[in-house]
Amino acid sequence: MLYDRIFAGALLVLSGLIAWTAYHFNVPFQYEPLGPKAFPIILSIVLAICSVRLIVKPDANAWLPRKDVLIKIISGLVLMVVYAFLFEEAGFIVATTIVGAIFSWLFGEKPLKAFFYALALSLVSYFLLADVMELNVPTGLLFGDIF
Amino acid sequence: MDVLHFLSIGFSVALTPINLGLVLAGCFFGTLIGSLPGIGPINGVAILLPLAYSIGLPPESALIMLAGVYYGAEYGGRISSILLNVPGDAGAIMTTLDGYPMAKRGEGGRALALSAVSSFFGSMGALLLMVIFAPLLSRLAIEFGPSEYVWLMIFAFTCLATMVGKRPIKTIVGVVIGLLLATIGIDSGTGILRFTMGIPNLFDGVDFLVVVIGMFAISEVLILLESWARNDLKMTPVGKSFVSLSDMLAVKWVVLRSTLSGFLIGVLPGTGASIASAVAYGTEKRFAEGNNEHFGEGDIRGLAAPEAANNASAAGSMLPMLTLGIPGSGTTAILLGALLMFNITPGPLLFEQQPQIAWGLIASMFIGNIALLIMNLPLIGLFVRLLSIKQSYLVPIIVMLTFVGIYSIHGDSFDLFFMIGLGIFAFILRKLGFSLAPVILGLVLGEVLEENLRRALSISGGNWSILLNGTMTYILAIATVAALVAPKLIKKFKK
Repeated sequence: MLYDRIFAGALLVLSGLIAWTAYHFNVPFQYEPLGPKAFPIILSIVLAICSVRLIVKPDANAWLPRKDVLIKIISGLVLMVVYAFLFEEAGFIVATTIVGAIFSWLFGEKPLKAFFYALALSLVSYFLLADVMELNVPTGLLFGDIF
Repeated sequence: MDVLHFLSIGFSVALTPINLGLVLAGCFFGTLIGSLPGIGPINGVAILLPLAYSIGLPPESALIMLAGVYYGAEYGGRISSILLNVPGDAGAIMTTLDGYPMAKRGEGGRALALSAVSSFFGSMGALLLMVIFAPLLSRLAIEFGPSEYVWLMIFAFTCLATMVGKRPIKTIVGVVIGLLLATIGIDSGTGILRFTMGIPNLFDGVDFLVVVIGMFAISEVLILLESWARNDLKMTPVGKSFVSLSDMLAVKWVVLRSTLSGFLIGVLPGTGASIASAVAYGTEKRFAEGNNEHFGEGDIRGLAAPEAANNASAAGSMLPMLTLGIPGSGTTAILLGALLMFNITPGPLLFEQQPQIAWGLIASMFIGNIALLIMNLPLIGLFVRLLSIKQSYLVPIIVMLTFVGIYSIHGDSFDLFFMIGLGIFAFILRKLGFSLAPVILGLVLGEVLEENLRRALSISGGNWSILLNGTMTYILAIATVAALVAPKLIKKFKK
């Protein structure tokens, strides 16, 4: 099965959904002839035509990742999701140390060195981002009282 | 002279200590970002945009810094092309063809110096053209009504579809995805919610920053993970760095021609540095035929042409963004989004009503280019040493900056998850051969396109013939058709 066909099929379904949703918009009042429905409907028609064309004439599959590469990509993804979970809860310093260390390790650094690098990175950047640039950086529950 | 008066306003803005500092910082980081393989100007501007927004810089200062990153990265892209044979970004691909052979011969320093000088003259030439044409174009654009804007955008998308990427159909799909993303949120005309799926965070529309960072930076991290296997890059020694007058004289016409073509291609909506450098390289190759031509084996003309062109196109693509509100490249699409975030609508009125922004930016680009030339001649060794920074140190920094940048906008974790989701989607798009610039172009232009379409039809009372009414709409319609068929005709003629 060609990736292009699967993707274009999904787009075709999506364009149908968009057109259907847009057609059923409940517009209580409207002062202009076109309204909020027309533009999305036009776009969904263009999208549908393009998807059909892609289904008829797809490109060959150009992406054939090895299994270990795929595992690496997925672990990177999981790591980012974990980062998003920890970011607010555990706070910037803890989250960045953990996630940064694993990322560094994924890119070939020795575990201990990766950990100390990430620790230094998170401490220095916390100071730079929160104190110097005064950005909204979460301290987290653990250090909430200290800093 | 009007122009000189406005330029003096521009320089008075650009020369304030904070803006001067920002343009220098932007150029420095831009060169650094451009020279690191894989992180091109788009990613650089995208990663720094939320930070510039959150620390509360005034709009002209933020724009000056981000633009500095943009053209700084166009300078920096050549360093890894020449020394590692790995282009720092798409616009620097052609630079590898003659730059790397020179470096292998032990003339890395000569190549770096000559390309820096070519880049400098390319940008400066394009800037002068911009100073001349910006007032003219904005005076022309002031007459534009909604129908003209609709055509202008259709023209932009057509150029994008026929000139960028291998499959026009995939470019159109990308544009439509971007346009559809722009429809999410409260409709400004009637106040109804569209495609929000009941998620309150989407009522205000998708946040431009979240989309840009998700699509570019997050998917880039995934791509870096995939391509990490090839980490055994060999650095060629730089050799002595020098600019010789004879080299410069030998390429003076090459640089001039490439600057002109680069500027024009940059001005065309949607087509940026990668096309400009490819066209310039091809043209010069044909010009040099039979004249001691060694293109591909380290010919200095083959090095000067793409470098002058890609820097000229970076300046050129700013022209339609500032005067018409239509970005000339993917990176300027992000700069346009940045301006909109600061509640500044680029367009013909920008030059009259807020000259400090438009002219401040132009003036800062003159300063930035001089700074870049200085940074890239004596300080080149510093950037070369930074090239060897390990990805295991770099990637945690990129990931951290994207998360901090996005979180600091609203202080809400929802944006982080949404960003990752978009990153996965963008990764799939890239793997299927879609390019991301059309999506961003669609996203920034979506609201403007819909608004103008609806306004035009309000004026005509629902009659679509208003779209072909008046000389300018005819000209733009013909230009659109030309953009549609010209590439095919050129292909046929070549056969």
